[in-house]
Amino acid sequence: MHCRDNREEIHRTGEIPRILLIGNPNVGKSVIFSKLTGHEVMASNYAGTTVSYSSGKAKLYGKQAVITDVPGMYSLEATSSAEEVALNLLNAGADTVICVLDATNLERNLNFALQLKERGLPLVFALNLVDVAEQKGIYIDVLALQKELGFPVIPTVAVRNIGLAELMSKAFAAAAQPGNARKNHVLSSEERWKEVGRIIGIVQKVEHRHPTFWERLGDSMIMPFPGLLIAALVLAASLGVVVGGGKGLRAGLLLPLVNDFYVPFVSNLVSSFIPEGMIRNILIGDYGILIKSIEWPFALILPYVFLFYIVLSFLEDTGYLPRLGVLADGIMRRLGIQGGDLIPMMIGYGCAVPAILGTRAATTFKQRLIVSALVVLAVPCASQTGAFVALLGDQSVLVLLLVYFISLCVIFLSGMLLKRIVPGQSDTILIEVPNLLIPNTHALFKKMWIRIKHFMIEAGIPMLFGVAIAALVAETGVLVNFSKLMEPIVVNWLGLPGEASLSLILGVLRRELAVMPLLEMELSTVQLLIGSLVALFYMPCLTVLGVLIKEFGVRVAAAISVSTIIFALFFAGLINQAINLILSIV
Amino acid sequence: MSLYKIKKATNCIIESVPAHKILEALGIRKGVNVRVLIRQPFGGPVVIRVGQRDIAVSHEYAKQITVKEVV
Repeated sequence: MHCRDNREEIHRTGEIPRILLIGNPNVGKSVIFSKLTGHEVMASNYAGTTVSYSSGKAKLYGKQAVITDVPGMYSLEATSSAEEVALNLLNAGADTVICVLDATNLERNLNFALQLKERGLPLVFALNLVDVAEQKGIYIDVLALQKELGFPVIPTVAVRNIGLAELMSKAFAAAAQPGNARKNHVLSSEERWKEVGRIIGIVQKVEHRHPTFWERLGDSMIMPFPGLLIAALVLAASLGVVVGGGKGLRAGLLLPLVNDFYVPFVSNLVSSFIPEGMIRNILIGDYGILIKSIEWPFALILPYVFLFYIVLSFLEDTGYLPRLGVLADGIMRRLGIQGGDLIPMMIGYGCAVPAILGTRAATTFKQRLIVSALVVLAVPCASQTGAFVALLGDQSVLVLLLVYFISLCVIFLSGMLLKRIVPGQSDTILIEVPNLLIPNTHALFKKMWIRIKHFMIEAGIPMLFGVAIAALVAETGVLVNFSKLMEPIVVNWLGLPGEASLSLILGVLRRELAVMPLLEMELSTVQLLIGSLVALFYMPCLTVLGVLIKEFGVRVAAAISVSTIIFALFFAGLINQAINLILSIV
Repeated sequence: MSLYKIKKATNCIIESVPAHKILEALGIRKGVNVRVLIRQPFGGPVVIRVGQRDIAVSHEYAKQITVKEVV
């Protein structure tokens, strides 16, 4: 996954050959990598899924190799920080380079293949997606292509494991016979395209077919009509699945499990051993560690995170997201970003960490910074969405919708502001629209598993800490003192109960923890709105802060954190004061 | 004529392209057949079909690409 790369040793380890997996973006390198090594890496149907490398060991017929999954590149000149990573890996050299070619788009892929050949690299070619190509009426003469390229070419369907064993045995054979490759004459760009054209003429036959239903659907998704209608339907269906499905799961399964079985069981158990007093309260009181550390993450948050990732993974694998980016470009360019940046923003609705890392595929620093800042400021992560639904879903759906509407407005306005104040240039849109594909179920499940496992590890532990801190400060009286200190801001300016200052402490740990304490208070509708807005715009969680520092340095990370805290308190308070003013007049 | 001004569904041949690494790598180059599928409103991109693939090209790039209609 983006967040946690499996960076094993990629240095020469004795006799184990090193193999690089390279190619144009979105040809299936990551699918091949995870099939060969069993490692869990993210694979999606759009360019720029892999922004950093992962390495892993592959075993076949008793032989071993270290394989590295390299970010996709359009040419041997870097245009983004992900491509720089790729180029450095290529320059470091390898025993064999597996170049993955997209059979549905051979012409352009061949241009890249010829550039590799000119470099004198020891190559093996995987001709991937041959199944999709045949559906489109594209037939490729593999033997003729092999003869033209002068290296082995293996047809593969990576998602279904077809051709991968043969690919590996050819890669092992190539690694065992070094010196097979020699530097070729370097062609000019024009000569190279001419050579590509000559090879295509020999190896590829395209049968004209009537476009399939999927192709026509894919095309109509990028027309303003019916594309915008489809987009509205997709978003409504996604919301329905996440919010409606989440509430159903919670009410029908998880809450009864926790409230009717777990809570009485633990309460009785603790009560029979520990006498009334502070320790018992810390364990099973208002913020009881044993109660809330199970209830908050599993009964309230997990169902939404789980459903959100089902929807996101499905959309990623179909190839719909770049199409939505094409439709949204006209609006997004007003924010100093472009349609291609829509994907990291959508990922931000899951978690800001992969969203910020995903901006590495963007071609300018300005776009990277704007997308990251917007995600950190105003895009609620899936956990926080779960918390909002838990807080507002039952009492006031209107407030829930209002919170998301305000979030969109703030994204828009702060984007327009950032476009003007962030120095540098943004690139305009230039993206490929991938084939619209029916997701492979196995791949989809695997991706879900990676994401849920990641959530359990990344969210479970901080949440346990958060609950422990909440229990301690609430039961020891520290909270009372802190609340007094914060009274001018929390009570007078924001109009919240003093106890709500707990949100400001816990919100540092995780975004949803800024919302959860509000659940335990009896709040009015206005207070619910204000509390939610503070939590939404409040500083990034600790993990995100770490990623911001790593990607942009301490100064930028500090600037983003401080300005989000100030904005959250100022803006939510302003709304509170405005509402009070209106109410006092009416 | 600039690619941005071409009507939808007209077959064209590219006459000139500004020097740009990604444009070239995406196969948008002199002598190639293209067809405009859609021009997005609000200053959005044009989507063109090059070979087997659809590519969204911003109007800034599209205005710099010149094409000739194929009859």
